[in-house]
Amino acid sequence: MSLASTDTMKEGPSMLARLFARQELALLLCLILVITFFSFTAENFFSVRNMTNVLGQASLALTAGIGCAIVFMSGEVDISIGSLLATIALPLIIIMNDTNSLALGVGGALLFGLTIGVVNGYLTAYAGINSLIVTLGTMFVMRGGVYLYTGQRAIPDDAALDSFIALSDGRLFNVVPYSAVIAIVLLAAFAYMMQHRPFGRQIYAVGGNPEVARLAGYDVRRVKFICFIISALLATVAGIILAARVGSAQHTAGLNFEFQVVAATVLGGVSLAGGIGSLTGMALGVLILQFLSNGLRGLGLPTEWQLVITGMIIIAAVAFDEAKRRRIIGG
Amino acid sequence: MSELTQSSAPRRSVGGQLLGSSQLVLGIILAVLCIAISLAAPQFYSEANIIAILRQCALVLIVASGMTMLIITAEVDLSVGASLAFVGCIGMAVLNSTHSLALGMLAAFAFAGGVGLFNGLVVTRLKVNSLIATIGTMMMLQGGVYLFTREAVQNHHRLISFTDLGAGYIGAIPLPVVIAVVIFAIAAVTLRFTTLGRYLYAVGANERAVRLSGVRSERLKLFAFVVTGLCVGVAGMILSSLMNAGQPTAGRGFELTVIAAVILGGTSLLGGRGSLFGTLLGVLVLKVIDNGIIILGWNQDLQMVVPGVVIILATYLDIIRNRANVR
Repeated sequence: MSLASTDTMKEGPSMLARLFARQELALLLCLILVITFFSFTAENFFSVRNMTNVLGQASLALTAGIGCAIVFMSGEVDISIGSLLATIALPLIIIMNDTNSLALGVGGALLFGLTIGVVNGYLTAYAGINSLIVTLGTMFVMRGGVYLYTGQRAIPDDAALDSFIALSDGRLFNVVPYSAVIAIVLLAAFAYMMQHRPFGRQIYAVGGNPEVARLAGYDVRRVKFICFIISALLATVAGIILAARVGSAQHTAGLNFEFQVVAATVLGGVSLAGGIGSLTGMALGVLILQFLSNGLRGLGLPTEWQLVITGMIIIAAVAFDEAKRRRIIGG
Repeated sequence: MSELTQSSAPRRSVGGQLLGSSQLVLGIILAVLCIAISLAAPQFYSEANIIAILRQCALVLIVASGMTMLIITAEVDLSVGASLAFVGCIGMAVLNSTHSLALGMLAAFAFAGGVGLFNGLVVTRLKVNSLIATIGTMMMLQGGVYLFTREAVQNHHRLISFTDLGAGYIGAIPLPVVIAVVIFAIAAVTLRFTTLGRYLYAVGANERAVRLSGVRSERLKLFAFVVTGLCVGVAGMILSSLMNAGQPTAGRGFELTVIAAVILGGTSLLGGRGSLFGTLLGVLVLKVIDNGIIILGWNQDLQMVVPGVVIILATYLDIIRNRANVR
């Protein structure tokens, strides 16, 4: 909450660029280290099947993580994405059961997600309420709403459309899960936007220093508003993939998902202070955590140990990153 | 998140006035709620129900007292829910093996205080953002409690003094309420009337200025983390006494309730602004809503929806009122 690392911005773009380069390199080394370690220790870890499986599992956090990172970069937070995952599964499954059409179901879900993004974005950007409070509030409202509507029972996917089921177990060329393909395409598109489109640069500017961005003629409110909509829509896509995987609308879907995504995003070097980080970093953060939990399972450790170790690694990684940053800036 | 820091500075002169009226809004909301619920369900004002509400408030208020201090220093602790469950299990296990309430309480305090110390050290020494650091601790504690025990730690010691901790009375008032009031009073006096309290506000408002004036700001933050931890220790023991077991699944979402109450009470997440009296009103509003939903026979899942709306609405009202005051 003490978002005190804005000092880094003074160093100029070349310095920043170098900082990012090193950061992502370090993350990549970490990922290779994790994969190498488990390849030698865990059974069946280093196989095409397992690797692509992990990619498929990571697709949820990757997709939602793009939105989470973009909102962070604009200097806000969105912790409502976990509840959103459960919420948008309702229109998706209900519409599909009624109409037997995947397109209508997905359309309904996206419309729902869009509405939530508009609410989050409006309350934060235009009404001026702290985004942590807004999204904490919508998180409660959505989760409670799902509980109310479903009576805490799962709504099964009766339509069982082939195209919908393919989202969970279909594979491109029989190798890469479709969910991973979706995540990678979205990641590439948004990474391109962040680095090479004016809007991407606007997000960095708004997050780095809203006052300067305003003086430079950017519409700070509009940029933040759109970031929340992007975040909600991407979380909707993640929610659709999750619903396909579990084959129903679950009232407990996505519980604590926001914490996992926030942790991976920060691990990937995206600063909560805004204006700093990259989507590549975020993706590496997600992959590190996903391979780690997969590898630990391969070692036969109970899931509880995975939680403990993941928690320790998040703290250690952020602490290490912070120490490095201070050394570079200070030294 | 960082826009409000600049805008709040010039308003410092009318700060006290603003705080006062912020609580006025909350007080009116509380009064309206009480009147509306009691019109619809007269049993709202029965002695049994009021005691039930107070007992519900006690646990949240105890932890919220520490959390208010912490948020005033511009940090936050998301691990309190997970810690609450773990403390209950550890306290119960120690009670089972030693049959001594004092040792059980000591273990609970040592553990919960240790968690607070750990969070504090990670945040102040390693400079990790507290939101992330305490998400990390939360994961460790959630995993750790299952490694410690897979099922509830049952009460095998049957100590009467332990049962009294949750179910006992002093006069007509439940013991947990008395404990909560004492902790609340100590925290309120500390924040309001002591140098330490003024420094806590100062650290939250402008940490650099505090450091330049020769005060170790890290220590103040560390203090707030440890106090929050100790409050969790107290609440954890009361909870396990009320449930007569240490439940590893207890405390799910508790951190969000506590933080919601503190924010509702007008304490700014950016630090430097807020009061314990506001927190008390925040806790009361949330718990009266909870209670109202139950005695009106509404669907209990509304207990999640309504507070969500109330938090956003109350914050928005506060912003509107601030704008009006500035003009």
